[in-house]
Amino acid sequence: MTNKILSMAALSALLFGTASCDNFLDIQPVGRVIITTADDYRKMLTEAYSIVPEDRGLASFRSDEFVLDASVSQEDLNSYLDIWRWEDVSPESTTSTFNWRSYYQVLYEANYLIESRDNITEGTAEELDQLEGEAYMLRAYMHFLLVNLYGEPYTALDDPYSSKAVPLKLDTDPYSVLSRNTVGDIFDQIIRDMDRAEELLNVDEWETGYNYRFTTLSVDALRSRVYLYMGRWEESLAASRRVLEKKSELADVSTILPNHYTSVENIVALEEVMTAYYVRAGKVNRELYSLYNSGDLRRASYYNRQTASNITVAKGGSNEYSCSFRVGEIYLNAAEAALEASTGEDALTAARGYLLTLMQSRYTEAYYAQRETAVNDMTRDELRDEIYAERRRELAFEGHRWFDLRRTTRPQLTKTYSGETYTLEQNDSRYTVRIPSAAIEANPGLAN
Amino acid sequence: MNKYVLLLLCLLVSAASAIASVTVKGRVIDADDQQPLVGATIIVPEKALEAAGSSRRNVTALSDIDGNFTLVVPDGINAIDCRYVGYAPMTVELKGNLDHIVIPMTASTTELSEVVVTGYQKIEKRKLTASIQTVSVNDNMLGSAMNIDQALAGQIAGLSSVTSTGAPGASPKIRIRGTASLNGTQEPLWVLDGIPLEGTTLPTMDDLKDIDEIYSTSIAGINPADIETITVLKDAAATAIYGARAANGVIVITTKSGRSGAPKVNFSTRITYAPKTDIDRLNLLNSNEKVDLELALLGTSYTYRENKGQVARLIDAAGETAAYKAGGWSALSSNTQAQINQLRNINTDWNDILFRNTLSQEYNLSVSGGNDKATYYTSVGYTDEQGNVVGVEASRLNMTAKASYRLSRKLRVGASLFANRRVNKSNLTDADGFTNPVYYSRRANPYQTPFNEDGSYNYDVDIQGREDSDLMFNIFEERDGTSYELETKSVTAIFDGEFRFNDQFKVLTQLGLQLDDSDKEEIADGETYAMRKDKERTTLASLDNESFLPDGGKKTASSSTQRQVTWKFQGEYSDRFADIHEVELMAGSEIRKTWYESVSSTGYGYDRKTLQTKPVIFPNESWAELYPLYAETYTENAFASFFATGSYTLLGRYTVGGSVRMDGSDMFGVAKKYRFLPLYSVSGLWRLSDEAFLSDTEWLNNLALRVSYGIQGNIDKNTSSYVMGDYNNVTILPGNTEEIISVSTPPNSRLRWEKTKTFSTGVDFGVLNNAINLSVDFYNRNGSDLIAARMLPLETGYVQMLVNWASMRNTGVEVTIASRNIHTADFMWTTNFNFAWNDNKVLREEIPSNQTTPGREGYPVGALFALKSAGLDDEGYPLFYNKQGEKVTATELLKLNSAGASTLTAEEQRNLYSYIGSTDPLFSGGLMNTFTYKNWELSLNFVFNLKSYVRCTPSYNPANYDRGMNSNRDILNRWTSTNTNTTFPRLMNSTDRPAEYIQYAEYSLYSSLDTWIKRNDHVRLQNLRLAYTLPSELTQKASMERVTVALEARNLFVFGADYTNYLDPETMGNEFAQPIPKSFSFNLNVAF
Repeated sequence: MTNKILSMAALSALLFGTASCDNFLDIQPVGRVIITTADDYRKMLTEAYSIVPEDRGLASFRSDEFVLDASVSQEDLNSYLDIWRWEDVSPESTTSTFNWRSYYQVLYEANYLIESRDNITEGTAEELDQLEGEAYMLRAYMHFLLVNLYGEPYTALDDPYSSKAVPLKLDTDPYSVLSRNTVGDIFDQIIRDMDRAEELLNVDEWETGYNYRFTTLSVDALRSRVYLYMGRWEESLAASRRVLEKKSELADVSTILPNHYTSVENIVALEEVMTAYYVRAGKVNRELYSLYNSGDLRRASYYNRQTASNITVAKGGSNEYSCSFRVGEIYLNAAEAALEASTGEDALTAARGYLLTLMQSRYTEAYYAQRETAVNDMTRDELRDEIYAERRRELAFEGHRWFDLRRTTRPQLTKTYSGETYTLEQNDSRYTVRIPSAAIEANPGLAN
Repeated sequence: MNKYVLLLLCLLVSAASAIASVTVKGRVIDADDQQPLVGATIIVPEKALEAAGSSRRNVTALSDIDGNFTLVVPDGINAIDCRYVGYAPMTVELKGNLDHIVIPMTASTTELSEVVVTGYQKIEKRKLTASIQTVSVNDNMLGSAMNIDQALAGQIAGLSSVTSTGAPGASPKIRIRGTASLNGTQEPLWVLDGIPLEGTTLPTMDDLKDIDEIYSTSIAGINPADIETITVLKDAAATAIYGARAANGVIVITTKSGRSGAPKVNFSTRITYAPKTDIDRLNLLNSNEKVDLELALLGTSYTYRENKGQVARLIDAAGETAAYKAGGWSALSSNTQAQINQLRNINTDWNDILFRNTLSQEYNLSVSGGNDKATYYTSVGYTDEQGNVVGVEASRLNMTAKASYRLSRKLRVGASLFANRRVNKSNLTDADGFTNPVYYSRRANPYQTPFNEDGSYNYDVDIQGREDSDLMFNIFEERDGTSYELETKSVTAIFDGEFRFNDQFKVLTQLGLQLDDSDKEEIADGETYAMRKDKERTTLASLDNESFLPDGGKKTASSSTQRQVTWKFQGEYSDRFADIHEVELMAGSEIRKTWYESVSSTGYGYDRKTLQTKPVIFPNESWAELYPLYAETYTENAFASFFATGSYTLLGRYTVGGSVRMDGSDMFGVAKKYRFLPLYSVSGLWRLSDEAFLSDTEWLNNLALRVSYGIQGNIDKNTSSYVMGDYNNVTILPGNTEEIISVSTPPNSRLRWEKTKTFSTGVDFGVLNNAINLSVDFYNRNGSDLIAARMLPLETGYVQMLVNWASMRNTGVEVTIASRNIHTADFMWTTNFNFAWNDNKVLREEIPSNQTTPGREGYPVGALFALKSAGLDDEGYPLFYNKQGEKVTATELLKLNSAGASTLTAEEQRNLYSYIGSTDPLFSGGLMNTFTYKNWELSLNFVFNLKSYVRCTPSYNPANYDRGMNSNRDILNRWTSTNTNTTFPRLMNSTDRPAEYIQYAEYSLYSSLDTWIKRNDHVRLQNLRLAYTLPSELTQKASMERVTVALEARNLFVFGADYTNYLDPETMGNEFAQPIPKSFSFNLNVAF
């Protein structure tokens, strides 16, 4: 009797074991997911946005915006001194590096979204279009940042199709080993991606807090900059115009910094250009500070002047000052492009118009009147210099200066630290950053 | 096949044709507890049958559930044999009443025990087709080893054990029959009384300084004194039953149990003295040499970290740097000269400060016994091992309780409880490992004193390893101000039941529960280097150059819990037909669930006295992310398996066996059909010594041939063909925290199962009344589609990915010899020798086109490649032999461009290297000799690992030698214009030959020279033990059964390949590893 009961128990235990096995093995791991729905893809894209590097801010150390001096902490010197003094040959091992993989990680996620567009479940067609459009914009913008860091300036090249920069990454194949594409090819691809994004994007404006995402307006904002960097003035001007048609209001710099993510000027509040680390490490170059007249409202709002030699940046240090594109830049792009687009007098007039609009909102009334007269009297060359100077003042510490130096005159720069003078010669090869050794180690083809 | 059938028929016919016979009835019982023994074999010896003129060759019977048997024996037979696994065989004369013969069997204590425990089954050794080896655990084997894994070195052929650090309780790296897989764990599966243990994986030590992490595997929780035997399952036939986890072999621990009889009490203690490490071997500079070196360097163009070192500081403080550079020593003021000379007279004994003599202790007490209804075993043990490095310590308290009950004739249940608490203490070292005491002993300047004259701390500011550092470090302050402690509480409970339906069929079930709870505490006071480092990193200009971390120290408390529940249920059937066919079948299922969770929290501004912390006001969210105050993880896994084994034995000498197992697990993102993976093995055994043609060979006791083949597989659980992500939170813009999904690895739809096919064959040989037992095994393991992480070009967005990239072969021969060399009434000398040769070869390897170091195809998996050095050129830069045998510079060899990068293709760079050797020893094994004379016993236990290589850290790097720290004397022999006859390169600066400089400074070209690959072969006298057992007349007066006292020495000496400048052959490759301690113990064992 006992035997039978036990046999039955044993048998049923075995059967139970088999039948419920599949259920037993169905464990939804905590914190993991297979990306399938539109919502999942949005979360993945948010991750992509969150890892966009702040290298435009780091590049400020290479430009003439920051000064490093004896008051800087050792930790910060370890990180930034060799970038600041263009010591690319034997930097201290602790030196911060310009990113490489992060750009391509963003590109992976953007490419994955583009490739799997047809397999995304849930979500309306509009939502999916918007996601895909943003992916194209991220792809265009990452390649744009890469080519400007690691490639020679487009405007300095006789033949942009003969100078190799970085590899274009347009798929998710983990097995491919890429070689470098030319500056020309990369810019062509950026333009194609922007065109494709324009067809897809349908959100005109994101609510505050989400305004790091690309919008319909952001396409022309990026075009305005890309064409400017290529010296294709008419296309740049046209793009700037289209932006300003929709958004032209300038912020009151005495109440809010224009690069604040809630400022009226904001177009895309993505990159936290001046991180807390950068703000902590660098002092404002006194020469730059002296470019701001006392009638310039920005002097007080952009900077904290502790002593004559200790001036720190106010427009950074937290993600409140995340800014990739804003209206102020568009005015300056427009002014420069208008000036260069044609040789006639009307070009000057158009350029003056954009420049003065910006100036009016940045200067006290009295000082503006003074500058207006001056600007109106300027010759073409003087006006160009004035636009460059205004650009330097307006966009200081927003990650533009290094790239503006590169694409324009590539002047000689000198810096002094602890009694030693360092020089970056005019047209120095160090105006192009070296590809990180980690990247070359992983793909030796990049050395060629 | 037909022959077999014919043979069978003949036998059956002849059995039937027997004429006269007698029926014998009887009962087989345990002599100890008088309980019936089920399934004992009662047999008429073949020779007796022949002698009696019977035509039958096989007359046997099995005892039933009550121990009863009936055997019909031919006339003329006057004795029968009785055998039972685990008991000594008996011969019983047939006389008197043949209806009630009682056969009392006694448990066997012979060395070759008759049964092998695999964790799933007990297999009779005579039917064993697989390659399995058992060692009994005793004092000769253990010595003063704290954990059982430390004592396995040299015990079992084919098990290689490599010690990587001498820290107390640290686990060695154990490999069984070479490295089988490349991905994930390469460690064997550990099984405690049938339950596979969780938490046995060692840290990977990808980074050398990870050796500072304290950890405690669950094996470290088992008291070796509780262990009866260790069984190692080596081939596929043995391990297939354990499934995918057993691909690296299985180590089965069987703990001691009670025996029925009067209670037995055992007490043992061991006091161990370990003298402090002697760092003279490191050959470090003394103060005089160091001062001269610093002076010499300051005058040269070598400017790397020019302001480091006390000499430079003194000269700089006097403002005489420029004068010194121009005019040398005589340009210094007499005051500065005197100060510098003062340094020469200080020779701080860092050996004495950083290391210590230690006294460790161990106590064990056990009580066991029982009666015919129940047996019990209980024990308590405490051990405390002090490390030679001050502040390092490990202790363990164990309690074990085991009981087994015979509830009825058919039902037996048992329960075991293993509980322990262990504490590991170490030094809290900084993230860069600079304050690791062993590393520091190599780097601390001999002229650096720990205290000023007034008794205050004298800080070492050269330690940090970065330029212009002023962070202060003092070893005494750090020791007082920091603590690092791991406390683990662990409980393993096993419940098992066995129900026997009848003579043939029984079911068994086993429920195991394991719970490991670890708490780790890292504390640093405010006034410590560790805290200063944190403060420096968080200093902000916006906070007036203050750190946002509150004043005071910090405490990080992490706790982790690992749990598992395993339930096994299996049925076993064994029967015998027509006297010559034996069948054993077993089938069952197993389900297992594991949970792992960890929580870690950090408090700043911590004060040990008040136990208070202070809130951290982060300047913004990005800082908050860098200094997380809280983190949590949770994982849960489920496994379900079905398994079956079977064996068939014919005539007691031909056995074939097979096993199959289906392993299923919760593989997320993997189609259900891939969830179950079949594994199988087949095996056979031929016992030649039982054949008629060998049965007359008196000297031959045993000769058997084994052969097996099996397939095992493995798949990476974390790779999916879908894009998988982990949830996370991120704040891109203020006030808006969003959920994100981060893709941590790219999907890989091309990933296939990794498969290992194992062929194994062996011979067992016993001669001269088993005075010599020899086993020789040969195996060949072929792994194909092996999975490994591969470096990706960063343009893919990822650093690495798992791919099927290689196939690999392990071929090996294992020899085990156990011999009784001399055996007289008073004296005995036995030798156990084992030896393994394992040749590992990567058969095929898919090299990514971006790889610049050579692939291992045709070489072992641990292959080390290097550039051939060809001395120095006339500027003191290293020269290399290229493949044409010409001496070339680095620029010529690598075709460097001006930026110091090689313009060779990756393939051309790969071809520059030459193969030097493998990190895995080609030969390994052990030799144990035991001499017994009357009450004295002497045993010597040697272990060896031969033909292995290690890549060492160069004595100095020519491009960034830090003059602020000490080093060995090789630096004195560097190339200079006056010392050109040397192999050590000059110190380089970035302006001369900048391209080469970059190669040395950034791409670490110097350490890829063959100069830095060294052989680390060694033979170590692991244990030497001299024991004396007090005469029993004496002990019995004190009502003690047995008293043994012993003296032991562990790691008394090591013969090795040249290891000048290093502490031991084992730790040559790691400057952070603690040296292997040498120790002397006194051991007392008392049994009541």
